[in-house]
Amino acid sequence: MLIVKDLHAGYGLSEVLVGTSLTVKAGTVVALIGANGAGKTTTMRAISGLITPTRGEVLLDGKPVQGLDASRVARLGLAHSPEGRKVFAPLSAEDNLLLGGFRWLPRYFGFRKKAAGDLARVYDLFPRLAERRHQLAGTLSGGEQQMLAIGRALMSRPKLMLLDEPSMGLAPVIVQEVFRTIRRLKAEGMTMLLVEQFARAALEVADHAYVMERGRIVVEGTPAELGRDERVLAAYLG
Amino acid sequence: MPFSIVAQIAVSGALMGLVYALVAYGFQLTYATSKSINFGQGELVMVSAFVSLTLINTGLPYWAVVPLGLLFGALLGLVVERTAVRLALEQKSEGWILLSIIVGLFFFSAAENIWGRDDRPFPTPIPSAPIRILGVEVTGLEISVLVGVLAIMGIIEVFKRKTLMGKAFEAVSADSDAARLMGVSASHTVMLSYALSGLVAAVAGILVSPITTVGPTMASAMILKAFSVAVVAGLDSGFGVVLVGVVLGALEGLASLYIGSGWREAPGLVLLILALAVRPTGVFGKSVIRKV
Repeated sequence: MLIVKDLHAGYGLSEVLVGTSLTVKAGTVVALIGANGAGKTTTMRAISGLITPTRGEVLLDGKPVQGLDASRVARLGLAHSPEGRKVFAPLSAEDNLLLGGFRWLPRYFGFRKKAAGDLARVYDLFPRLAERRHQLAGTLSGGEQQMLAIGRALMSRPKLMLLDEPSMGLAPVIVQEVFRTIRRLKAEGMTMLLVEQFARAALEVADHAYVMERGRIVVEGTPAELGRDERVLAAYLG
Repeated sequence: MPFSIVAQIAVSGALMGLVYALVAYGFQLTYATSKSINFGQGELVMVSAFVSLTLINTGLPYWAVVPLGLLFGALLGLVVERTAVRLALEQKSEGWILLSIIVGLFFFSAAENIWGRDDRPFPTPIPSAPIRILGVEVTGLEISVLVGVLAIMGIIEVFKRKTLMGKAFEAVSADSDAARLMGVSASHTVMLSYALSGLVAAVAGILVSPITTVGPTMASAMILKAFSVAVVAGLDSGFGVVLVGVVLGALEGLASLYIGSGWREAPGLVLLILALAVRPTGVFGKSVIRKV
């Protein structure tokens, strides 16, 4: 589904990624873990086109997408729920969700009717959002905004979802709820690439995991294999 | 001074103020998507008016010229976006300020060379005979300004609130990276906003020309007032610009009546200074509530 080969990217003159490679197979959940500043978020941003890689390849469904604008990549079926959630604060929760469906909904009229089924599914997943559908997204709590960001990504009917730090800054009980949702989406067959600070929680849900350090992948394997790796244990699961 | 004269002057001024509001609204449209505005917007008003006048002089009926004039305004908006704004935005520079002024100067010189420096009348089928409403005389032309300004702003507001494309507009305004992640092309949205802004400028030109005549400098004073209105009302409230525009227009009329016609431009500048001193985000500026 997603193949990243020898990706180099950065901001201005500072190169953050120095040859990252990873693969996400259809129907699997892949975790990307590592310390702060290792380049996890930059990897996500380079895959979805928010930044342009300087070298390397990103194949989505076999199609090279590196260098395309983020909006083109999104229209090809990649949904990126970014770090910091980035909900549209001055718009209502429901408008945020509708915009999630921008890639397939009619642009002018009749989009509400078309979106009804997908909206119902998101509200079923996150009943809190149904209660707050008319509230401005900027006034939602952090946990609700995270649900909104995931729901918005789901509305695009994605082939692949990138979830960047879905637990960041949330209370433990909300983090559990977020991971319950991720497991449920996995059970429904969603392909996901998950970046997480909570390595343990991420490894519990993942089929495969990569560990990043200083802009490249240093260890990869199944969660069980990583659990036996002493360096990983000491650095991330200790 | 009899009250009827005061009321008469205030109403005429207020209707003129609606044109300032419309031009200010054009600033808001592009500011929303790109945080940039076209400093040569007045030249768009003027060139669209000249082109419409030229079309009328070829014998086309007024009602056929209006849509053509609007289309031409939208095209000019796209020209400004392409020549003055796009490259600057791509490089995250503020170069659009100077570039848009330069493009405006270019349009100004072109207009002087093509159509000359004289002011010309703009023929219209809308009757200029005054009608009495509540003791105040209002001409058909003034009513056409009222109807035209409110109609075009109403249509654009409905587009922004009721269509998904309009919501995408607001999404780009709120967070353009996140909007790109939804599949919204930020560059197309910016182009669309410049086309709409040009169209709005053309509406202003066509509405105001029969009253003020058409000439290269017809919009130079208007654009200053539109700036004042945009700054006082804030760059995100369509309702705000209408209110501030109407008040400013009325104040201008009253200033020239009570203090002297040389003081006509004063209220706009006084309002601008007051607004910047007291509330720099604009009287109707939204402060976005954000929880983390």
